[in-house]
Amino acid sequence: MNFAQFLKTDKLMSADSLILFFIVATVLVGGAILFSTFMAPTSSNPAKFEPYECGIPTKGTTWLQFNVGYYLFAILFLVFDVETVFVFPWAVVMKELGMVAFVEIVIFFFVLVLGLAYAWKKKALVWE
Amino acid sequence: MEAILGNQVMFILFSAMIVMFSILTVTSRRILRAATFLLFVLLSTAGLYFMLNYQFLAAVQITLYAGGIVVLIIFSILLTSHIDHKFDRVPAQKLIMGVIAAGSGIALSLTTLLTYNFVPANQEPISVDMNTIGKSLLNYGDHGFVLPFEVISVLLLAAIVAAVVIAKRKKI
Amino acid sequence: MEFNIYDFTSFTKWIDESLNAAMSPFWVMITEMAIIGVAILAFYALVGLFLVYAERKVCAFMQNRVGPNRVGPFGIFQTIADLLKLLMKELVYIKNADKLLFNIAPFIVITASFLAIAAIPFARGLHAIDFNIGIFYVVAVSSLGVIGILLAGWSSNSKYSLIGAMRSGAQIVSYELSVGLSLITMVVLAGSMQLSTIVEAQANGWFIFTGHVPAVIAFVIFLIASTAETNRGPFDLAEAESELTAGFHTEYSGIRFAFFFLAEYMNMFIVASIAATVFWGGWMPFHVPGWEGFNTVMDYIPPFIWYIGKTAVIIFILMLFKWTFPRLRIDQLLTLEWKYLLPINLFNVVLMAFIVLMGWHW
Repeated sequence: MNFAQFLKTDKLMSADSLILFFIVATVLVGGAILFSTFMAPTSSNPAKFEPYECGIPTKGTTWLQFNVGYYLFAILFLVFDVETVFVFPWAVVMKELGMVAFVEIVIFFFVLVLGLAYAWKKKALVWE
Repeated sequence: MEAILGNQVMFILFSAMIVMFSILTVTSRRILRAATFLLFVLLSTAGLYFMLNYQFLAAVQITLYAGGIVVLIIFSILLTSHIDHKFDRVPAQKLIMGVIAAGSGIALSLTTLLTYNFVPANQEPISVDMNTIGKSLLNYGDHGFVLPFEVISVLLLAAIVAAVVIAKRKKI
Repeated sequence: MEFNIYDFTSFTKWIDESLNAAMSPFWVMITEMAIIGVAILAFYALVGLFLVYAERKVCAFMQNRVGPNRVGPFGIFQTIADLLKLLMKELVYIKNADKLLFNIAPFIVITASFLAIAAIPFARGLHAIDFNIGIFYVVAVSSLGVIGILLAGWSSNSKYSLIGAMRSGAQIVSYELSVGLSLITMVVLAGSMQLSTIVEAQANGWFIFTGHVPAVIAFVIFLIASTAETNRGPFDLAEAESELTAGFHTEYSGIRFAFFFLAEYMNMFIVASIAATVFWGGWMPFHVPGWEGFNTVMDYIPPFIWYIGKTAVIIFILMLFKWTFPRLRIDQLLTLEWKYLLPINLFNVVLMAFIVLMGWHW
């Protein structure tokens, strides 16, 4: 069996409903933006396309210096997001497996809480 | 027959999106645009997983890669990069070398793919539901993954500590 | 054809069969997709417009005003008029803005909410896609919206937009964790992530009643966290108008602005639907075990009405939040999430697991 025949087997299942929602969203947004672009009246003056800054001319570049805290919280989020992914399958079978699953999750969470406690102790959870 | 045709259309659609957005990702000269195209590559890959009916992996792909890693990348771009910033054009010599390397890669994979004799699987497709995944994740016998499951928490702990240490380091 | 408002399965089956009799399977698929697409689009637009109207009326009610009352009876056509007006407004591109990303940003926000709607069960048999990972899928796709917000802030080339986007980003990703963990608590109780199974499991009592204390804690945390995740007041410091003008969508005009606005309301709707489905039984009528007569009476109310009613109540609670509480500061916001909600949530999951282990749930 070559590649073309492999593609024709029925092993692939359909994701067409999902792509449908994607298409509907595309049609909605694209259609409305196109409609507005062609139908809406346009006008122009020198001040119109300046970024807003309380009515005075903009100063300097848009680039600002941000608190590194933003990045720290993003990384912490990623860590706990990974944790969520592993806890979801656990949650489904918790009822069936009983004691074993309970002990395993207690250990899992204990180690994670250590990390949270460390961040707390080092004042990483405080916004400066 | 028509269902198969529909699947083929979907497969070609997703693959075309992956190829197109991958090329855009590496050729775009604005860094945030590259990150956005990367997002679309990852989402199309998730679409392929949905086609294979492996929904858990697809959702993991969306949460971790699209909703996690890409958000982190965009955050760091917002922190460090300026909207007017553009990468320099790639010098012609590098460009040619790159195209040759990519072209030979494509040729190699295509010849392998087209000459390979695929063996059709006789087994029924296994439906991977959450129960199976959860049980093998928590099982401590053979085919069980409870040790990796617990080690992951240690890995995550290390990640938290590292992030805090780096971010809270005294200014030099 | 038998149209049954208590069970849509026969209705959708009837459509499928009559289409199959009329044309080839390929065209059946195309037609069905077109029908679903148009239905979803109409539903999305209607709900969005109605919620904007409802918000204005609720706000007016709390502030002792009348609210919109000129266009149509009680002003119900006000939002439609607003929509038409926004459609006819010029789309302004700011100097040096990244046009491509500027347009992609509202698209990502809208797509995320569309994909989330796909998995919500509206009534028995009225459910676009019934994933076996239902809840996880909704959590996953709703996490995409934040990317649209970050892109909007960066591509506008405006300081207010950038600051607003950074604030929103930090806030949304933080509170996403609490949303996920409070839903995990309920998955432990249900033993499944499939939304149809979760609804069926609540036939003899909604989870908020059968899950004891942890279910109530999870519900409260879910309400707080989802209010923050949808960027609504009192957590709307991303668009705190007195300091940041309008946050990440300061530079957006016309219909593109309307999309951000619409997506915000649709996200509120999705969040309320999930809360209604997971905690209050979705379209399942209110049953008390043992009270046969009472249960029969409750069964007379169609499931769709139950679903809409519960969702409406939760949406009303969310609006109540917005118009009663003062806005938080960003340090208070992050403290609330990382020092209170997250540890409580982790403990709550273990508590729920313990209750399930002991068999104390009903």
